[in-house]
Amino acid sequence: MKRLFAISSLVVLLGVALSARADVPRPKPSQTENKRIYSSLQIVPDSKANNARLQIRQSDLAELRAALEGTPSSRPFAASITNSPTRTMIAGLLLFASLSFAGVWWARSRSGSGLGRTHKAVGIVVIAVATIGAAAIITRGNAGPPPSYSWRNLPNALAEGRSTGGQVIIEIVPDNQIPDGGVKLTIPLQKKNGNGEEE
Amino acid sequence: MTRPESRALVFGAVLVVCIFASATFASWLPLQISIVTVFLFAGPHNWFELRYFLMRLPVRFGKSRNFFLTAFTGLGILTISYVALPVVYRATSWTNEGWSIVIASWNTLLLVWLCVLILLRGEQKPRSNWTWAVPVTLAACGLNWLAPDFFSLALVYIHPLIAFWFLDRHLRRTRPSWVATYRRCLAIVPVVVLLMIWQLTQTSSLAETNGLFWRITQHSGAELLPNVSSHLLVSIHLFLEMLHYGVWIIALPLIGSTVKRKSKPIWDPKSIPIARHPRGFPKSMALLLCLGLVVVVVLWAGFSVDYATTRDIYFTLAIAHVMAEAPFLLRMI
Repeated sequence: MKRLFAISSLVVLLGVALSARADVPRPKPSQTENKRIYSSLQIVPDSKANNARLQIRQSDLAELRAALEGTPSSRPFAASITNSPTRTMIAGLLLFASLSFAGVWWARSRSGSGLGRTHKAVGIVVIAVATIGAAAIITRGNAGPPPSYSWRNLPNALAEGRSTGGQVIIEIVPDNQIPDGGVKLTIPLQKKNGNGEEE
Repeated sequence: MTRPESRALVFGAVLVVCIFASATFASWLPLQISIVTVFLFAGPHNWFELRYFLMRLPVRFGKSRNFFLTAFTGLGILTISYVALPVVYRATSWTNEGWSIVIASWNTLLLVWLCVLILLRGEQKPRSNWTWAVPVTLAACGLNWLAPDFFSLALVYIHPLIAFWFLDRHLRRTRPSWVATYRRCLAIVPVVVLLMIWQLTQTSSLAETNGLFWRITQHSGAELLPNVSSHLLVSIHLFLEMLHYGVWIIALPLIGSTVKRKSKPIWDPKSIPIARHPRGFPKSMALLLCLGLVVVVVLWAGFSVDYATTRDIYFTLAIAHVMAEAPFLLRMI
């Protein structure tokens, strides 16, 4: 009976292993989503120029090529984390709770029989990590106005010959999305009513 | 020089040679050495770990009942859920963000389980206060939710280091005079890692010419850290892994056998206290050890037939031994 149980267990174990086929593989590539690169754009009116010129930084070009070839981009480490509101909220709550618990634990330990060196070290590490994490989240939470805000004065700036800069998404699109060919630039501008207020 | 001192020196010298030899091989041919190392030592090191854990298992749980119940229940649930992840991945079409949340949730469960184990262990030590585990766990959970992929990668690199902690605790019990030498030698490891970073940081990434090489570089975090040379990542991971295998396969069994002159051979079930005890389980222990040996042979056969698939299966199921280290290490503290 025991031998039968052992053999059955082995068979089940191997069965599970073979059906699982193991590690989480490479993420499935999205077929429908266009490739995007987050960068910035500066529009500079120049009365002396005799032709429109599009200048692009080498690093942006490298990232563009990487996106086209499907290779990993050189996105900075900081940009690869906390780009999810759900995860950021949960992380913030947990770090807040950690800081609170660490404070209570610290206070209770101090009022006890004395604070050991290990306790002090642990307390300092926890408070430092939680503070830095919370600060990172708060910094990202206070991200400022939407990207369209920086383009609001573009018409006036162009008329006055001033340069305007703001965030831009470089997006690789299929040919049929720009039937006229070339490069298409979309600027988020709000229409203004008679009083000069944005509609 | 007394005999124990000279023995400690020999032990230290062997350790230093092992550290430098591992670093050299891992830097020289990381992919090839990684394949050979996993093939030869992955299975046997699990068998030695199993045997070591069985040696640490009490005959009756007694006051540690809750601790062991939590440990084994958590171990079972976490292992099953981890093994189920690839199956769920193939069955669903969740976005990358959805998967990040799933991975972060699993990591959180793991951390909560560890926290509960630490608190339960702390209860058995009335003179100490282990409630620091709660804020530490919450902070770790928070960081995990910020970057779950990086948290999982950190586990890949931290796990081999746990073996050093086991060896430290083991030496404190069995060879206290060696502890100082051991810790001095251990201080070389971060220096060697820094040297490897210095030497390999400018090297070009390893060519992922086939699926196996791609798997090995991914396991070391090449996709998460695209700006870091995959040669460096694989070399450092392999270096730590080789030391990890060395501790479990060579250091711990040898030190165990040198303490008692009349100790039984390691394959003898009677060498395990729980099998020797009058109220123990000699047949179950023998069966477990035999089953472990069968798994080792099956792994070797699997590696010979289809290395890449067997490697994937091994590293998925191996999460169980990674987690099993936690309760037994806590019991030694």
